[in-house]
Amino acid sequence: MPRQANAVDFWRGFALVTIFINHIPGIFYERLTHRNFSISDSADLFVFLAGWSLRLLAANPGRASPAYLVVRLGGRALTIYIAQIMIIAVAIAMLAAAAVLLQNPLLLEWHNAAAVFHDPVPAHLGLAILTHHLGYFDILPLYVVLMAMAPGIALVDRYAPRLLLPLSLAVYFAALGFHITLPSWPVPGEWFFNPFAWQLVFVLGFVMARADGAGGYVRRRIVWLRIASVPVVIAGALIIWNDWWPDPTKVPQPVLLFIQSKSYATPMRLIQFLALMALFSALYPGIRRAAPWLTEFLSMLGRNSLNVFCVGSLLSLAGQIVRFIYKGGIVVDTAVVAAGIALLALTAWLSEWRDREKSRRLAASPAS
Amino acid sequence: MARSGKISAFGRLARFVAAAALCALVAPHAVVPAAAQQVPSFSRECQPGNTATATESPLPNVAAALQRKKGKITILAIGAASTAGMGNVRGGYQAQLQRMLKAAAKGLEVEIVNRGVSGELAEQAAQRLKIQVGLTAPDLVLWQVGTNDALSYIEVERVETAVRETVRWLKEHKVDVVLVGLQYVSGMARDSHYQAIRVALRRIAQEENVIIVRRYEAMELIEKAQRAEPGSAVDEFANSETAYNCMAQYVARAISVTLFGRGLRPPQPAPPQ
Repeated sequence: MPRQANAVDFWRGFALVTIFINHIPGIFYERLTHRNFSISDSADLFVFLAGWSLRLLAANPGRASPAYLVVRLGGRALTIYIAQIMIIAVAIAMLAAAAVLLQNPLLLEWHNAAAVFHDPVPAHLGLAILTHHLGYFDILPLYVVLMAMAPGIALVDRYAPRLLLPLSLAVYFAALGFHITLPSWPVPGEWFFNPFAWQLVFVLGFVMARADGAGGYVRRRIVWLRIASVPVVIAGALIIWNDWWPDPTKVPQPVLLFIQSKSYATPMRLIQFLALMALFSALYPGIRRAAPWLTEFLSMLGRNSLNVFCVGSLLSLAGQIVRFIYKGGIVVDTAVVAAGIALLALTAWLSEWRDREKSRRLAASPAS
Repeated sequence: MARSGKISAFGRLARFVAAAALCALVAPHAVVPAAAQQVPSFSRECQPGNTATATESPLPNVAAALQRKKGKITILAIGAASTAGMGNVRGGYQAQLQRMLKAAAKGLEVEIVNRGVSGELAEQAAQRLKIQVGLTAPDLVLWQVGTNDALSYIEVERVETAVRETVRWLKEHKVDVVLVGLQYVSGMARDSHYQAIRVALRRIAQEENVIIVRRYEAMELIEKAQRAEPGSAVDEFANSETAYNCMAQYVARAISVTLFGRGLRPPQPAPPQ
């Protein structure tokens, strides 16, 4: 049986829907997502909640042996890797099909796909080793690296829980201070999501999910933290609306500590994100009372996040191609979003239906 | 062919005048010995784009950096342009650009920082561009912009505002910029939005007096040259790839013409395919 609707699945579902919309640049409905008033966006939410879910994965079932933990979490990293390889293969095929059917070679250059078509030998290697990313298909490579780190995170958490956050912060500040990241190849550059910076968002989710330690500390003081968060979130909105970003050429060294960069999940962004989380988390009980169908719906998406994310990534690209063919417009945008969300829901529903059928059949024939 | 010949002659004259003026402007600052300077010529397949690939405007900050940093310049590449020329035997965009600029002026040291993120719109690229300027302190920003906005049908005003504001910001921060415009695809030739973005980029370049590498015209010429060949079939996919690979050459030439605007070679006619 799928678990009951809960806040974590609900916000995960929310993140999945907003990522789907935000990944169709220019679509009307992207004006409605929270990044229009928030420095952080659904990517931060997605990674934070992935860390939160890691807590469930690492804690269940009970105190598994370290070896089992490593294999289980490592297996999860492999699953995400397979998902990434599958969706980029389909994405490349979609771009190729669109270019051929529309007789428009421009589409082959879209989203960094040019290297795949014009220089396939190194580009394919880059795709396989996750150093060549297509535009908007760059979150899962981050997720693979984070899950590859997950056994380490879970083991540190088990044997030296107090060390986890300081270690994570040390890696984070080293990455920002010394500009450490993973390179992209064969196209020279950097990963859009720097794993050494973003691991902190992931670890924060993991740590906050814990009922004691830092998570417990936050829970006990949540009211005060929410009060303190209000001015932070307002300041973030004012920065966005008035374009009050710090000038990256005028801040002190190390530059990354003082500016807004999504790639490096810089402190400015991270602090705003945590404040937003503190406030958002207060909303769930009210939403649940006012619109139970919405909590059920988004929780269903959140429970099946990897499947929904993969289908959502491809639907975003399909949405972009459809918008290109019909030249955008509110009618097309509405159709794209409505069809997209319906298909995301179908994906989640099918995943759960399959699981239900499987357990029903297992229950019916215990001998097999 | 006759028509493109006329354009060539006109282009040559215009460029000569511009280059002569720029020489006077730039040359006193340059530390690179005049004798060693040579504007790179194009490889065979890129030659049709010779006539109309760039408008010349001064690059005062690069010229100053050449003097201050003893012949070393740092170029920041933003936008999908940094991926161009990957499959080219000449070693890809970065290597090609570096080699051509070095060939244009002996002793020149060129550092290229590639920070292309694909799919992002001008508005997001503008934000990231500023961050990268803070991190890498370039003398020149090479910004390929407009294609994603065109494919996503972003309002022209939004694109124009983002690009213009960023070009001005770069000027205020003493960083030169070379814009790389849209590319030519016959399917987009009658798309009014695509053309409007193309025109907007050219307008910005003209009004803000910055260089724009006009990929569109270059590719259009490549295709026209092919159509003029009797019995030849136009393979737009192959042309697109060629033009993509030629981008480094167009960019290198635009920069070197402006900086060391001497030794302009007359454009040669395109060889038969």
